[in-house]
Amino acid sequence: MRMGWREAWRLTDVAFLELSLQAIYASRQGNLPPPIPPSEVARTARGRVVQSKAIVATVLALLVAGACLLIKAAPRIVATPFFGVPVSIPVFEAGVLTGLLTLEVAFLWWTGLQVLPTFLASAVLPVLEPLPIDERTLSRVAGLLYLRLFDIPALTVLVVTPLFLALTLGPAYGLAILPGAVAAVAFALALGLLTGRFFVRRAQGSRGGGGHTVVRWAYLVLWVLPAFAMFALIVVAPGFLALIAVTTSHGPSVGVDLLAASFPFSLAALPGAVTSGGGVFGLDGTGSAVLALASLGYVVLAAGSMIWLLGAVRRVGLAPPLVPVGAPATRFDLVPQAPARAVLTKDMRIASRMPGYAFLVILPILDAVALGLFTFLSGPAGSTTTFGLALAAVSTAALLATFFGPAFFATEVIAYAYGRTLPLTDRSILLGKVALVAAIYLVAGALVLGLTLLRVFQPGIFVAFVLAELPAVLAASFLELGILFRRARAKGLPIVNLYSGAWYAVLVSIPGVIVAGAPLVAFQAVGRSGDVAGLTAMAIFAVLELAVFAPFALGPGGA
Amino acid sequence: MIERSEPAPLYHRRADTSLVASAPFGPDTTPLVIEGLRVVYGERLAVDRLSLTVQPGEIYGLLGSNGAGKSSTIKVIVGLVRPAGGRVRVFGHDAVAESLAVKERVGYVPETSLLYEALTPREFLEFVASVRRLDRKSASDRARNYATAFRLEGEFEEPIASLSNGTRQKVLLIAALLHQPPLLVLDEPLNSLDPRSVRIMKDLLARYVATSGRGVLFSTHTMEVAQQLCHRVGILDRGVLRGEGTIALLRERAATGDASLEELFLRLTREDEGLEAAVRALEGT
Repeated sequence: MRMGWREAWRLTDVAFLELSLQAIYASRQGNLPPPIPPSEVARTARGRVVQSKAIVATVLALLVAGACLLIKAAPRIVATPFFGVPVSIPVFEAGVLTGLLTLEVAFLWWTGLQVLPTFLASAVLPVLEPLPIDERTLSRVAGLLYLRLFDIPALTVLVVTPLFLALTLGPAYGLAILPGAVAAVAFALALGLLTGRFFVRRAQGSRGGGGHTVVRWAYLVLWVLPAFAMFALIVVAPGFLALIAVTTSHGPSVGVDLLAASFPFSLAALPGAVTSGGGVFGLDGTGSAVLALASLGYVVLAAGSMIWLLGAVRRVGLAPPLVPVGAPATRFDLVPQAPARAVLTKDMRIASRMPGYAFLVILPILDAVALGLFTFLSGPAGSTTTFGLALAAVSTAALLATFFGPAFFATEVIAYAYGRTLPLTDRSILLGKVALVAAIYLVAGALVLGLTLLRVFQPGIFVAFVLAELPAVLAASFLELGILFRRARAKGLPIVNLYSGAWYAVLVSIPGVIVAGAPLVAFQAVGRSGDVAGLTAMAIFAVLELAVFAPFALGPGGA
Repeated sequence: MIERSEPAPLYHRRADTSLVASAPFGPDTTPLVIEGLRVVYGERLAVDRLSLTVQPGEIYGLLGSNGAGKSSTIKVIVGLVRPAGGRVRVFGHDAVAESLAVKERVGYVPETSLLYEALTPREFLEFVASVRRLDRKSASDRARNYATAFRLEGEFEEPIASLSNGTRQKVLLIAALLHQPPLLVLDEPLNSLDPRSVRIMKDLLARYVATSGRGVLFSTHTMEVAQQLCHRVGILDRGVLRGEGTIALLRERAATGDASLEELFLRLTREDEGLEAAVRALEGT
């Protein structure tokens, strides 16, 4: 049956409701139906999906607002050279907009990585496939379905970016950034799908066993690496700006032309070039032509990406995992572990085949590596800076591990109906999750400090910092997960249902991050009178926190 | 004494339950006692004052149409649904107050094979073995034996997401049997299985209950399987137990002569009313 766009949109309406239900209640993944009247289920699921999209959109709007505030404060900021390099206001503005467009791509892409597994697990497309609907309409439905996952965040980028910029620098500036916003959205959505397809073909179908697991994690690291750009960019932003300033300060050159041709600088520099001319970036006639052509090329590529996207979503949605050819070496040897450790192992195995969870493990570790590399490249310093470096390294590892900790609760939604029939105690689940957070913290800490040690060989100080903070990381995890368990008991709900409210996931991380951060603040407060004293205060504070929050989570009323 | 209904037994029959009286599975030797169970979803009554008992050495078949309340009853036993009333005890342990003790004694196969899709069968069974605190040798030996019997060797290291429904069902059956539980609770366990595996399961269940004190609660709407395998059956209809006992006893009560279990079922649930008319109407479509 041949259908038009209107019918495709109508089908998308129904399919998106099913997708929302699966995204929130995950019944196809083995979760139990929610304990609310059936008539409320669809409405609640739809509401929570909108809520999640609104949270992503708010973050994107805040990024734009932050960029505009930076641009507004440009005269004051550029008064001080960056790494000794003077930066002009137009270059600063282009640099900030380059950062903004990169963050928008990265954040939308990251969102795509989070929702794509849900999209695939919902099995909405396989349900539609056998119906008498022509291929073109099915492709349209699949494409529209994918776009609807991003509608509010994408519209925020497309509307808020030009609007805020127009209000800050004038209407021409706002209009000229529009191609950049369009390209950012199109590239992010296409990259999300491309990487998703890669994941489906390589990681999800990978066999079990040690060698396969290592390869799978290597895939996942490669896959997540680009989305990590948003965090890396925040770390290296001043150096990046100085690099642009140095490149553009010498006038026309091959380097400037290459910069003008690169994404997203060309589109970020377009407003400045339109309003003030290419000369402000050291561009001559050729360079300006390169900038114009590159901008046009990226817009054309963005349009091509969207056309590709509409056809590709269906193929990705229906593609089975790519299982390696050939009989595997069967190993029947089962190695039972203690229940809490088994929960940890299970979560790691699930994460290795589900990118949404893999991201939670890899992100703090990658960020630690970025920070370590930055320290390695920027060089050693004196004793005070050694403590400062250790503090920065531990803060990054601890706060990121703690912030994402509660998200591991969501792995319990998988096969929940089956898992609850096993004699697995809440205490084992909780201890398994806490152990995972601690492991991420320790690996991240070891990596960043390992890199830092190559330049500043003070192993005693670094190890002491990691160990002093460890009880606080444990305390923070106990607090976050303890809150989730207690709330589950009070509401009589399965624990996983609590997590499906996005607002709650964010809220429960706030006290955790405060607990993890408090000993670091204690170090800085006491450290003025001596770094060893600060470290001691930090350790005592962390142990006290653990003594308070572990019983909160494991004691009466807890797990 | 447990008496298999009929026809002539395909499998080993337990003739005398007196040997199992002292099985140390809990404060009581009876695998399953359900008394006055009520299950309510919102305003819908799914199970109404259901009482039944699974004796040591017995395979009890719970029969019913779709939506009769079989799965709801089973979900209460394994701790997935809280009852609105009544009691469920497994070897004397209360399914609500002592759910952990009950879960330790039960092997469960759900009606739908919703598993950890991201794990391989080996990884999944390793998790189950860990939670059930099995030792390495027993767990590995049993996994090897069952996987070989079900011809799962080729798929043991593939992600569950890539397996067929039948293969997933086999994985669930192995997981339920891995700790050799004294009570097996099987919700439509033979769905999706190939004939060879069905035969193995039937044989295995018959032998399984022959070991001291074990019991099996088996839900199905396949009458042939129930007739071959179950010592007693309970016929559930819209949440109410319409009849219970050996097939011979049910025939006697329903005065149906030598009717098949299917005919008995239709008679007891009154689903034979209008059956002819329904078939004739379908013929006209």
